[in-house]
Amino acid sequence: MRVYLENLTKEYEGRKILDIGTLLIEDGALCGIIGPNGAGKSTLLNLIAGLIKPTEGSLLYGEGLSSSAPFREMTMVFQAPYLIRTTVEKNIAYPLKLRGWADVAIECRIEELTEELGLTNFRKQKSWTLSGGEAQKVALARALSFRPRLLLLDEPTANVDPSTTAEIERMLRKINEKEGTTVVLVTHNLVQAKRVCKEVLFMDQGEVVEFGISETLLRDPKQELTKRFVAGELLT
Amino acid sequence: MEQIAIGFQEAIDLLITGDAELYEIVGLSLMVSLSAVILSTFLGVPCGALIGTHNFPLKNALLRIIYTLMSLPPVIAGLVVFLFIMRRGPLGMWGITYTPTAMIIAQVCLVTPIITGLTYNIVRDKAPKVKSLAVTLGAGRLESLKLLIFELRIGIMAAIVTGFGRALSEVGAVMIVGGNIKGKTRVMTTYIAQLKSMGDYSTAIAVGIVLLILAFLINTFLYNVQQKVEK
Ligand SMILES: Nc1ncnc2c1ncn2[C@@H]1O[C@H](COP(=O)(O)OP(=O)(O)OP(=O)(O)O)[C@@H](O)[C@H]1O
Ligand SMILES: [Mg+2]
Repeated sequence: MRVYLENLTKEYEGRKILDIGTLLIEDGALCGIIGPNGAGKSTLLNLIAGLIKPTEGSLLYGEGLSSSAPFREMTMVFQAPYLIRTTVEKNIAYPLKLRGWADVAIECRIEELTEELGLTNFRKQKSWTLSGGEAQKVALARALSFRPRLLLLDEPTANVDPSTTAEIERMLRKINEKEGTTVVLVTHNLVQAKRVCKEVLFMDQGEVVEFGISETLLRDPKQELTKRFVAGELLT
Repeated sequence: MEQIAIGFQEAIDLLITGDAELYEIVGLSLMVSLSAVILSTFLGVPCGALIGTHNFPLKNALLRIIYTLMSLPPVIAGLVVFLFIMRRGPLGMWGITYTPTAMIIAQVCLVTPIITGLTYNIVRDKAPKVKSLAVTLGAGRLESLKLLIFELRIGIMAAIVTGFGRALSEVGAVMIVGGNIKGKTRVMTTYIAQLKSMGDYSTAIAVGIVLLILAFLINTFLYNVQQKVEK
């Protein structure tokens, strides 16, 4: 699903922390957002997710550029996953129950997702007994369950080991390719951005500094700020 | 000390022999307090959840009132309810003075603020996370509230148990609106007060012990429910 941001700003107590001119995230994009701490990446994602309201400007969604947020068709995965205090499978089933899916369909979908993410043996396990990486995979399975048109992720692999990270990355690429889901991924891992994303957006101090094809932007950035950031991050 | 020992003995005798009057009193106590708690739960839990998730003018004032009402002396609750339902009161036409209905209403007034206040406290801490989750998964308002109550069910259960303890153990409210009429509105606590004034200490202790045993059994039951919910 396409997202169009128009003169979007966000202020907290008079301090402007986000100032995005216009920005179009195309339908079917797999877009990474990178930038230093406090750049406003999470704030931007929360705005798109409809969790907070912009101070000025507007956000438009979908083909018809509708101004009402399509809560039933988009979702977000947080850095620290919040799982419902119940079993893994009931967590995955929750968004489907909300959407009135039949029990059989829910069962099929759970089976499909748990298999794909290596969670089959955890289906009946209580959410609070899972390890951090397992919990993150459950949060991802739950987010994907209803086949969202737009998937937002805020540093989903920050506390996850390399092999689980690889699994999550593979999943993101797959749903983007096979199901055409638009994916927006905030990450601090530039190698990950390079591996996963088709386009990358570099933010600093609440502004978009550079937006382009990930290969090009990360190899040969145009802006001085981006150059410094990419060089610094890729070296350390 | 001796009175307590005799009372203990008598309590066991009373329970074994199955004193009909005692059973009736115990039954009414449970009926009144359970009804009051069920009603208060339906009033207090949604109110506490709504106050915990919304900001509105005078919210702080409202909270202070709720906290004050949490420690409302039962006699005052009883008195106010009585003034409403007495023959010349605004609800006098209901004709419910000295009935179990009046006792239930008085206890609802006592217990609802407790359940509301305790629910509010739990909700306030956890609500933002649960709400974000609900919104991002596409839940509507009512569905979000349901998820919130589901997530906080253990704490809410504890609030309900606390309210129930308060209802079962208070004397003042049920005494004023119920009147401790034998066979009609006599409950355990008013019975104990009466036995004491008649100087029948050992029976008073015996009924007191029955009251404690009941409270223990009910809490054990709720604890088990809680454990089940967790599994
Ligand atoms: N509710 C709030 N009230 C006041 N300031 C806020 C609030 N939320 C965010 N900020 C400020 O907005 C700025 C951007 O925060 P944001 O969380 O979007 O950064 P970020 O790019 O996600 O950083 P990180 O990489 O550390 O996650 C920060 O300076 C932060 O202190
Ligand atoms: Mg962030």
